[in-house]
Amino acid sequence: MKPVTFDDYRERMLRVLVFIQQNLDRELALEELADLAHFSPYHFHRIFRGMVGESLGAHVRRIRLERAAQRLRSSDDGVTRIALEAGYQSHAAFTRAFRAMTGTSPSAFRARHRLPRFDTTPSGVRYEPSGGVPAFTPRDSGGASMQVSIQHLGPWQVAFTRHIGPYDKCAPVWEEFLARMGAAGHLGAGTLFIGMCHDDPDITPAERTRYDCCVTVDDDFAPQGPIGVQTIPEGVFAVTTHHGPYDALGDTYAKLCGEWIPRSGRVIRSAPCLEVYLNSPESTEPEELLTDIYMPLEPR
Amino acid sequence: MGVKRTVATEKVDLFKKHHAEYVAPSKPQLITVGPARYLAVTGRGRPGGEESQAKLGALFGVAFTIKMTRKFAGKGDYVVGKLEGQYWPDPGVPDPFDPPLDEMNWRLMIRTPAVVGASDVKDAVAKLTAKGKGDRADEVAVYDVTQGVCVQMLHVGPYDREIESIKRMLAFAEPQGYTYGGPHHEIYLSDPRRVPPERLRTILRLPLSKA
Repeated sequence: MKPVTFDDYRERMLRVLVFIQQNLDRELALEELADLAHFSPYHFHRIFRGMVGESLGAHVRRIRLERAAQRLRSSDDGVTRIALEAGYQSHAAFTRAFRAMTGTSPSAFRARHRLPRFDTTPSGVRYEPSGGVPAFTPRDSGGASMQVSIQHLGPWQVAFTRHIGPYDKCAPVWEEFLARMGAAGHLGAGTLFIGMCHDDPDITPAERTRYDCCVTVDDDFAPQGPIGVQTIPEGVFAVTTHHGPYDALGDTYAKLCGEWIPRSGRVIRSAPCLEVYLNSPESTEPEELLTDIYMPLEPR
Repeated sequence: MGVKRTVATEKVDLFKKHHAEYVAPSKPQLITVGPARYLAVTGRGRPGGEESQAKLGALFGVAFTIKMTRKFAGKGDYVVGKLEGQYWPDPGVPDPFDPPLDEMNWRLMIRTPAVVGASDVKDAVAKLTAKGKGDRADEVAVYDVTQGVCVQMLHVGPYDREIESIKRMLAFAEPQGYTYGGPHHEIYLSDPRRVPPERLRTILRLPLSKA
């Protein structure tokens, strides 16, 4: 197989960016965009956010707003029509979004007839009436040089309980789970505490994200009540450590998927990523928390 | 299932409750430490070596098993404390603050509420042993200590440069009429498994006695 290079990643992402700009008037499905550039839909969003510096949704919204700004300057169309074209249901919603981006209302903007210059263009990509994307510099916010090791790990036999809802609301589920497991003598030396993230919180609505609280157990552990058993399959993983609070994990994911992996020659495998918690959030200051992230990779 | 649990009252966090005993000033400071109960395991040899790693795992296993057992039984909830450690050399070592590491005596310890007793430890060891996770757990014991007046400061950096901070602490305490009065004590704020040595944060404490 031909090795995957950083230029491949860049070229593929550019294809997506161009396609977005040429299809701003319709629904842009994540699967379609991922497929277009041969990215796994499973992790596409993280790659996108890491390489482009904003989420897919935020990028599309911004590009549509930039187009709307151009139209405000160059056409006599009514604001409502431009708002609908930009994907907004109402004049008011469009005005709110436009003001958030530019600090001014669409009509005031049109009256002043300014060149549209939005501040937030983390990767240099702007709306081009011609439909092209002349400038795209994949971000490097330090992710290219992050410490990552590639390891063949697992399998892990784990007891688990599932949390469905926002990831940051999983603490009580962990508490209940660990109380049951600990009281039964299952938390000993060498027990791993693993979070299994089935969904990317940037795409799946928070109330539907699935997350398994897992601890490693012996093969003879039997499911009981809300606690099930599963085997996390072995495989190749990119492993890096996130230092600090859990609410900043998304930044480390974005760097790993969008900055480090595109330069690594490796391809992400469609499987849940794992978080291994090395210390207890109860007794550790947030900035001292350590989490190993295991991102599944295709074997070479 | 059938287990009724009391609605969680405020979780006890001894580190916060005894805040004055866990100050981490950048310069040496005198503090007074009252009676404290720990779960602890003792050993000998290089800190961070094989024996201390095995016993550390056993200590955490027992500590979590006791906490979860009490919590699950509705006996109240508390935070399993940070790891602490005490170190002392054999008698007669030329420089007691810089002894041969392979001959170091140590005690790894986790502060625990006073309601936790020897019977909790016994139950936890039995449970872990039944699940095949009891290796060295039977060496964990309750340890009570009252350290009284101590000098304390935050050390930032590798463990092998603690001697510099210890010398500062002694230089601060000795002119005030104190002398070294008990095993050197450390409270680990950082986890050495991933944090680079130069960024490790450790509270150092020297128990004192009147010279």
